[in-house]
Amino acid sequence: MASDVFTRWRYKLVPDKIVGEILSKNWVDNAIPFLFLLVALAVFGALIPNMFTAGSMSGMTRTAGEYLLVALGLTIVVLAGGIDLSVGSVFALTNLSMLALGGVVGLPWGLAAVAVLVLGGLIGLANGVLIGYLRLRAFLTTLVMLIICRAVTDTLLLSWSKDISSVQIASPVWDFLAFKTVFGVAPSFLVAVALAALAHFALTRLRPGWHILAVGGSRRAAHNAGIDVRRTVCLTYVLSGILTAAAGIFYAARLASLGNDTGLGLEITILTAVVLGGTSLGGGRGSVFKTVLGVIIVVIITNSLIRLGLRSGASSLVLGSILLVAVAIDVRWLKNRAKLLARSYVSPTYFALPPLQKVSRAPDTPYAINDLLSAAEPIGVGEVDGPEDVILDEEGNLYCGSRDGDIIRFLAPDHKVREVYVHIGGATLGLAFDRDGSLLVCVGGMGLYKVTKARAVIKLSDETTRSWLSIVDDSRMRLADDLDIAPDGRVFFSEATIRYEMHDWIIDALEGRGNGRIICYDPRDGSSRTVLSGRQFPNGICMVPGSQSFLFAETWGCRISRYYYDGPKKGRVESVIPDLPGYPDNINLASDGNFWCGIIGMRAPAFDLAQRMPKFRRHMVMQIARDQWLYPNMNTGGVIKFDLSGRVVQSLWDGVGERHPQVTSMREHRGYLYLGGIFNNRIGRYKIPGADPDWTAAQAYWGAKR
Amino acid sequence: MIGWARGRIDAFRGRGAHAATVPPMDGALRPNTLLEESAVLLRVAAPDNLVLYRGKVLFSSGAVIMALDLAGGVASEWRRCAAEVTALAVAGDTLAIGLADGTLMLSDGIDRVVTGLGPCITSLAEDGAGRLIACIGSASNPASDWKRDLLLAGASGSVWAVSLGDGAVQKLAGGLSWPAGAAMAGERVVVVEAWKHRLVALGAAPLVSDLPGYPSRLSAAPGGWWLSVFAPRNQLIELVLRETEYRERMMREVEPDHWIAPTLSPAADFNEPMQGGAIRTHGIVKPWAPTRSYGLLVRLDGNFQPVASYHSRADGRFHGVTSALQMGDRVLVSSRGGHAILALTEVQP
Repeated sequence: MASDVFTRWRYKLVPDKIVGEILSKNWVDNAIPFLFLLVALAVFGALIPNMFTAGSMSGMTRTAGEYLLVALGLTIVVLAGGIDLSVGSVFALTNLSMLALGGVVGLPWGLAAVAVLVLGGLIGLANGVLIGYLRLRAFLTTLVMLIICRAVTDTLLLSWSKDISSVQIASPVWDFLAFKTVFGVAPSFLVAVALAALAHFALTRLRPGWHILAVGGSRRAAHNAGIDVRRTVCLTYVLSGILTAAAGIFYAARLASLGNDTGLGLEITILTAVVLGGTSLGGGRGSVFKTVLGVIIVVIITNSLIRLGLRSGASSLVLGSILLVAVAIDVRWLKNRAKLLARSYVSPTYFALPPLQKVSRAPDTPYAINDLLSAAEPIGVGEVDGPEDVILDEEGNLYCGSRDGDIIRFLAPDHKVREVYVHIGGATLGLAFDRDGSLLVCVGGMGLYKVTKARAVIKLSDETTRSWLSIVDDSRMRLADDLDIAPDGRVFFSEATIRYEMHDWIIDALEGRGNGRIICYDPRDGSSRTVLSGRQFPNGICMVPGSQSFLFAETWGCRISRYYYDGPKKGRVESVIPDLPGYPDNINLASDGNFWCGIIGMRAPAFDLAQRMPKFRRHMVMQIARDQWLYPNMNTGGVIKFDLSGRVVQSLWDGVGERHPQVTSMREHRGYLYLGGIFNNRIGRYKIPGADPDWTAAQAYWGAKR
Repeated sequence: MIGWARGRIDAFRGRGAHAATVPPMDGALRPNTLLEESAVLLRVAAPDNLVLYRGKVLFSSGAVIMALDLAGGVASEWRRCAAEVTALAVAGDTLAIGLADGTLMLSDGIDRVVTGLGPCITSLAEDGAGRLIACIGSASNPASDWKRDLLLAGASGSVWAVSLGDGAVQKLAGGLSWPAGAAMAGERVVVVEAWKHRLVALGAAPLVSDLPGYPSRLSAAPGGWWLSVFAPRNQLIELVLRETEYRERMMREVEPDHWIAPTLSPAADFNEPMQGGAIRTHGIVKPWAPTRSYGLLVRLDGNFQPVASYHSRADGRFHGVTSALQMGDRVLVSSRGGHAILALTEVQP
């Protein structure tokens, strides 16, 4: 159909999935401020000539350095869930104190600076004690502190200004701080950046930093976790006071100014920078890097507005508006991010299956439905939870995986005794024995593992090469699914999807995209590399004896293919069965030289149609609850036997779907077929009429005796 | 303007009037297993429309009207008709039989044929004043093609009055969304509008609306009424009803049995669509799984408000309830999708 052609190209050319993948990244919180920075640079760069000259930039670093120091303090306070409005007047007071102590009192400038830092710290301590220990409201307390400090500054200015302005601080270091630059960057900026790096390290790597974030995230939880919440809160205000004092010192060095508008409105500017960077006013979310970003934006904006000749009132207006917008975005973003992600992550695309063959109970088709598997005798009913794969060793012991990461073993000969063979974790899926009898396991959520005969669990592989253009990190393995071992020891295993975790595996069906891949693990050097990618839920890896190739099934693609990993056809993929009427899973050897393949569900025409209409699936995902979504019909399944030419020789079904509604795996062993199912609570054992009663897969594969 | 914009936004996000939501089964409709666990009187293919005629319990099954022997739990053929029987009703000594070919037969020993009602007689009821009330589900689709009418948002149904004396017909109302049941309550004609999930008194405001299923026939209960609900509403179906392009292609390209549409019988075919919550896990389907079929009989009070309900849930067998018949302290229920006639005994007033 014409519309189908259009839909196919539309979804081929526009990669919708990127939106969801970007949203799932943690760095997406920085994306908005970063975009804002780019816009600000572009707008003001175009409006103002000489915006980006070295001199202009160098001038900006002086302001930026002071702002950044104050902003660092405020960030720490905000991260702990508080707010500090007193920074502006503390800045003014420390500026004045520095000039007074260094000039009028005549202290050496270093001693004066230390004294001023102590003063800032004491003011912060006052805030901290009131807010942290006495539990006063941060907003009111720091507002009052703002007024007090401002009043003290004004009073001092009245009586001291003449004395101060007549005396200069004479010191080469002081002059250096005031006028020199290092490679065009002001010393204050260098100090601020160094402190920012230190603060970043402390917040992300050190215990006090973690305590601050924890307190901001949830006071009660932090308290319950044994953190001294009061001391932590108090500490943040002390830090804020000291850092503001440092900024005041640099300001004093730069301007030696006694204007009574020093630091006026600074708290709004700094708050704008912090919130604009993306640090949440609610506490617990944010970072130093975000603040750096916010400060740069604010400095560029204020600087540009001044150079554009706007009056200072207009400049505050702009900053205030930006603050409002930033707070609004912060609130809405925090509230809706998870929802947005949940809705936009599933990204359906166009996928057309070949025409559905008619399957019925009439015995004229190779897939004719019957009820043979409902006669399978049950093993371990209620003792297993989701045995995705089953396997038997030479002694006839039966092994299976489970939803909760165990390998369960049922002991030969009657499989009545159950034991936990080993606990790995994740979700244990595909199983295979290697040459020396160790059990190799694909573990959903973890990777490829080996269990030795002594029951030691060894990790073989949990990462592969990262592809360059993938946004989700596809180097880690999310859903290792099934494996088989080549005669030379290399392990080929499938990762069913790189976009979903184990518990969401069926959702991958709704995308209709090749999200899976096949990976080769080489035990000789321990390396893993992707050999085939872009496959639709690859599964059922099974070596073809006597050839350098293996079979694999693509579950959502309803097809079975053969891949040559070596030899003259190396790298080629040949189709074996392109149009199954159901969804194939594991493939294993049969005693007569053919192959068994588990069928987990049947194609439903309504679902096939939905696969050709990605928009419909997208609406479905957006609008209705998850358990109401349309899925492949997984309540009828079975086993087919096929040969390498793709001819289906036989099929066994549980047409009623009571005992084995989905068959994810089956193994033939001494005349019986053992059945596993990912949603089942049992293993089935079906006697195959006429099968070789001595045949075992291990012997067929690795030779008679090892 | 704002209303229009809001409508567009709602349509895009699937909210407000465009939400594919389904009212919860709660209050009087709280799920139980009373219907599922009730006594099975008879297993028979697709039983429909139970009536009591001259002391005999009759029901239709295909083109056959069967007589049910209550004591023995067996049924015998009572009468075979020319076409499938789509509705039955008793008015005094007259048995009214609606057929799939559009004829209405009035039989009291002698058969009289009434025509002019259209091919979709879904339900018949006496009005106690010498007339029958006939529900015509759709002007274009036959009764057996009800899924198509639902998916096309059919609203061409009508309600007629048929004089038992001379067979004259008179249209009472038109433009209804699949009227599937009717009852005379005093002077009011109460009609079930299945596709709108509601009961309306003709010419008045709806009596009950936003039912969680598709209602059909009404029959008398002591001090109230029995309302059969033949299929549940389902979020996915509600979505499909709003997705025009998908719905049209589905109706064109997929067989009706495999549509995403309500059904009378529990899922049996592996080609039917399946919803995520309905995957058989550890050998069972959850009773609260999303389902396209359900068994529900609702007891209404004299004002047609639900007071009690009897359920066969998603994991149950007796789905597709199409009629109920009060017999003393027992209620006979036809489960058309479960192929059985059930007897409810412990009926709360």
